[in-house]
Formats: sequence, C-alpha cells, structure tokens
Amino acid sequence: MSDVDADAGAEHPDVAAQAAATVDEPELDRGIVEGWAARMISNPERAYRAAFYVATVFFLVTTLFPFYWLFMVAITPRGSLRDVGVFTPGGVNLAAFIEIFQRIPFHRYMFNSFLIATVATVTVLIVASLAGYVFGRLRFRGRNLLLLGVLVTSFFPPAAFFIPLNRLFNANVDVLRPILSAGSLYNTPFAIFIPLSAIYLPLSIFILMTFYSQIPDGLEDAARVEGTTRIGALFRVIVPLSAPGVATAGVLTFITVYNEYFFSSLMTNGRPGNWAPMLEGILRYQGQFEVLFNLMAAASIVAVLPVAILVVVAQEKIVSGLTAGGLKE
Amino acid sequence: MSTDTETRLLARPLNWLETRSEATFAYILLAPAFALLALIAFYPLVDTFRFSLLADQTAAADPFGGFAGLDNYAALLSGEALLPQQFLDPSFATPLLQQALFVTLAFAVISVLFETALGFGQALILDQDFYGRRWVRVAIIIPYAIPIVIQAMIFYLMFNPTIGFGTEFMQWLGVFGENPLANTTDSFIIVLVGDIWKTSAFMALLILAGLQSVDRQLFDVAKVSGASPWQRFKYITLPLVAPALLVAMLFRTMDAMRIYGLIDATAGCQTVPSMSCLVITALQETRRWATGSAVAFLTAVVIGLVVVVYLFGLRDQGAGMT
Repeated sequence: MSDVDADAGAEHPDVAAQAAATVDEPELDRGIVEGWAARMISNPERAYRAAFYVATVFFLVTTLFPFYWLFMVAITPRGSLRDVGVFTPGGVNLAAFIEIFQRIPFHRYMFNSFLIATVATVTVLIVASLAGYVFGRLRFRGRNLLLLGVLVTSFFPPAAFFIPLNRLFNANVDVLRPILSAGSLYNTPFAIFIPLSAIYLPLSIFILMTFYSQIPDGLEDAARVEGTTRIGALFRVIVPLSAPGVATAGVLTFITVYNEYFFSSLMTNGRPGNWAPMLEGILRYQGQFEVLFNLMAAASIVAVLPVAILVVVAQEKIVSGLTAGGLKE
Repeated sequence: MSTDTETRLLARPLNWLETRSEATFAYILLAPAFALLALIAFYPLVDTFRFSLLADQTAAADPFGGFAGLDNYAALLSGEALLPQQFLDPSFATPLLQQALFVTLAFAVISVLFETALGFGQALILDQDFYGRRWVRVAIIIPYAIPIVIQAMIFYLMFNPTIGFGTEFMQWLGVFGENPLANTTDSFIIVLVGDIWKTSAFMALLILAGLQSVDRQLFDVAKVSGASPWQRFKYITLPLVAPALLVAMLFRTMDAMRIYGLIDATAGCQTVPSMSCLVITALQETRRWATGSAVAFLTAVVIGLVVVVYLFGLRDQGAGMT
C-alpha cells in the first residue's frame, strides 16, 4: 500500500516538468474549444492523434455508409421508396429478400456466376501453376522474353480482344453441335470463363512464380531422388508447400471473375438458362414498365455477401496477393 | 491388369517428358498458358487490327467489307466517324465530354489523383498499430472486392432523383441539374465518385506495401533529431514510397482507361462515352464493326502511350534517386 503511494508520488522528471510548464502559463479564461486548441498547440502529438482518429472515422463512414444505405433501400416497401432518407428507411418490409427469387430466378443467376468463377479459378490455378513453376524455378533460353509476353497481355484493354472473340464465339462449329445445342459458344459458360481465365492468368502466374521460387531446391531434389517425376515433384512437393500462395491466387481469381462486368455482360443474351451471370440478374429488375429499385438493392446485398465473407475470411491473402501482383515488374 | 495398362499409359508421356532437356521441359509446361493467351489475347489483337483496316458493311450479312486502309482511323481522328459519339473531334464542335478520348483521359487523370490522395491517407492509417486494426482494414478493402454491377447499383440508386439523396444534395450545392443520370457532366461526376469510392482501397494496399518496407530506424533517428511528424512524412516517408507510388499509379491509370461496366450500368454508354463504351456502341447501335475495331485498337494505342510516358517518369525518378 505505502509502496504504491511512494511510486505515485515520485513522478518522472519529464512529467513533472510538463506539469510545471502548464502551471506557468498565465491563467486565462478559456472556453472549451479555445482550451482544446491551446492544448493542441502546446502538445502537437495530441493534434496528430486527433487527426488520426478523425481520418479513421471518416474513411470507415465513407466506405461502409453506401452498404448501409443500400440496405435501407432494400427494406423499404415499394410504395414508399420516395421516403427513403439518408439514414432511415421509408418503412420495413423484409419480404423483398424473398421476392427477388420469385420475380426472376435470381438463384439461377447466382449459381451461374458461382460456376463460372469456380471453373475459371481451377483452370487458372492449374495453368498458372505450370507456368509459375517454369518462370520461378527453371532456367532456359527466352525466359525473359516469354515473361514479357505474359506481362504485355495484362496491359491491353479487354475491348481490344472483344470483336474477334465475339465473332469466334458466335461462329457455328459443327464439331460442337452434339454437346452444345446451338453449335456456338455464345450463351454458354465457356464464352465467359475462357476469356476471363486468360485475362486474369498473368496475375496468378506472378503470384505463384514468387512463391514457387522460394522453395529450396533441396526439397525438390529429394523428391526426385525418391523416384517421382518432375511433374510429380511440382504437384506433390512444391504446390503443397506453397499453399498460401495458391490460396492467394485462387481467392483473387475467384473474386475478380465473380466481379467482372465486360465479358460477363456481353457474352450471353442475359437469360438465366443461357448461363447469364449474376449481373444480368440485378439489371433485370429494371423492367420495361417499372424499375423495382428495392429488389435491385436487395439482390445486390444478396450477391455481395459471398465476396464480403471471402474478404473477411481471407483478407490477408487478398492484401498479400494484390501487393505481390502490383509491385512485381 | 487393366489398371496396370492405365498407369503405363499415363506413365509413358511422363517418362518421355522426364528425358527431355530442361529447356524443352520448360516450353512444354508453358504451352497451356501460351495457348490460352494466344487464343484470347494475341490472335484477337492481330485480328482487331486487321478488321480495323476493312470497310464497314452495315446492311450485308458479313459486317466487314473490302480493304479500306487507314480510312477508319482517319475518320475517327478527324471527328467524322459515323457513330453516335465521336472518338476525337479536332474542331471541338462536339463537347469535350462527348468525345471518347477526352472523357477517358479526364476520367483517368482525375480518378487516379483522388484515389492516390485518399489511398495514401488510408495507407497511413493502416500503417499504425491500434486496437481493431484488422477490422478497419477489412472495412477499407471491402469496396475493392465488390462486383462492379453492385458498385454501379449503389451509385445509380443514390443519384436517382426519386429515391436517392445524392441528387438533392448536389442540386443544393448547385452542381447538378434536373436529371443527373441523363446529363453528361453530372453523370461523369457520378461515375468518378463511384470509381474513387471503390478503388482508393487498391491504391491504399499498394502504398501500404511500400510504407511497410521503409526502415523504421529512420523514423527513430528523425524523432531524436526533433523532426515533427509532418517533417518525418515529407522528408522520409514520401521520397522512400515514391517508386511504389508511381507503380501503383501506373496500374490504376491503365485500369481506369478501360472503364466500361460502371458507366454501362449507371448512366449508360450514350451519356458518358468512354473508349471501351464506344467500341460496344459501334457494334450494337450502328453495326459498324470495322470502325469499332479501329476504336478498340486506338484504345490500346492510347493506353500504350500513357504507359510509355509513365515508364519514362519512373526511369527519371530512378535516376534521380541513385
């Protein structure tokens, strides 16, 4: 007990000096704001801390508020959409979240999007694993030139590829007739996931290349001595050891394909049976005679949930992947 | 027995691969990646250029006519293309924001500047150690990860005159007119705000990576020498982060110049004709495929020129640093 008292009494010399300094200041009759400002001036660290908190709150509000407001629109009954305020809904009607599936088969659109994103992710991971292994671990003539070839594709806009691809996918190929009803790739998931796999391939190649190059040669050699082939060593030793990298590439590919707009909106005619992805579903509530704003908002919230969950679960992967992909060169 | 032959069938190509030299092995493993890139990127790019040299045929079954040389390019660059919007009108009779080249360039420059400033702010916050940092980071990244169509929906609803508060607020400020989603300037601002909201986080993440590679001891030294936080930022953080910052800006600029989805789902390609928008308009509204190809190729050329300018900037920066 007395020890504590003694400690409290023996203040650090700096603190004592500071206290003395404040006491030395002439006693002025200051209001709250003025006093606050005076303390800021005498101790700038305080000002910087305050600025930090203000900025944090500002960024949190600006990034999250649109979602909150979207939810307010979603729960407002259609009749009172005019009454949606900045912070308040115009009424409460959670039935919109059920109606979105009744009006149009929104679950089918979601399924199409999921299927396209999953198939694209698997394709990208396999192809990028092979390429990442080659660029990360092998030495051969023309390596830099080929790597440049991969880099260059990520700089062209998708619009520069679109017209020939559109023609190609609309061409009737008789060989495909038995598998695809129309005989062309238009209105099939292939028309979306093949271009998207190619366009997002370079990012995954860069991420995997970095991870694969960090595996010590000794581990691969040991696997080879044990009698596995080179391909076997890649898929049994290098890929499992680089699991975080593979997860990063996978999560990023899935999110970007799920979010994509250009090819997703142009490669199908927008019907759910023709593998139109989620974005066509959301835009479909914009009917010919009325626009169902609350259903649009509700469908948007449903469609954003999968990626939001993915971000919460895999945020470290997303951050490391984007920085690795962005800062490479 | 049958499984034995199966394994042997599988083993044969693997064994064959095993006996190749390292270079051959490398080329074989790269084959799938390059086959995909060739089909989706290299071949279409060449074909786009070939199409752009042909004439338009709006009425015939085949949208491409005979060889027309650089006529399409000449028409596009002189503002005489037969499209609802112009790519570039040197006489400036068309408003600037109805010319695809200027819309896209203005969008790229303004959005990247704002995103860099806001992203820098976000990165500085995420660089601090504080309670709940993980959740603040999630909140800041989330806009970056949401689908473009939902980003567009949010801003479409927000600036819808009947239900959104955005229009009323902007009219109160005196910026917006009656129906902003039908007005070019107003829609341009809406698209800009939507893009800045979504992609500042991307800049923040790239800048954060740069910030975290800065040696912390430098700050300690500066602190002991009596540098204020602002001076520490100006003389230590900024110069050391500059290379990462420029690379991040390059990536964002390339991406911003491809803008299509956000415009298509909010104001529409007629109201804010970006370069990618003009390609689709040429195809769908006027069925001028050859002109569309020329616009697509010019888009790639313009982006290429911007990249070259940046790379020169980066090189000068690198030369100045050492």
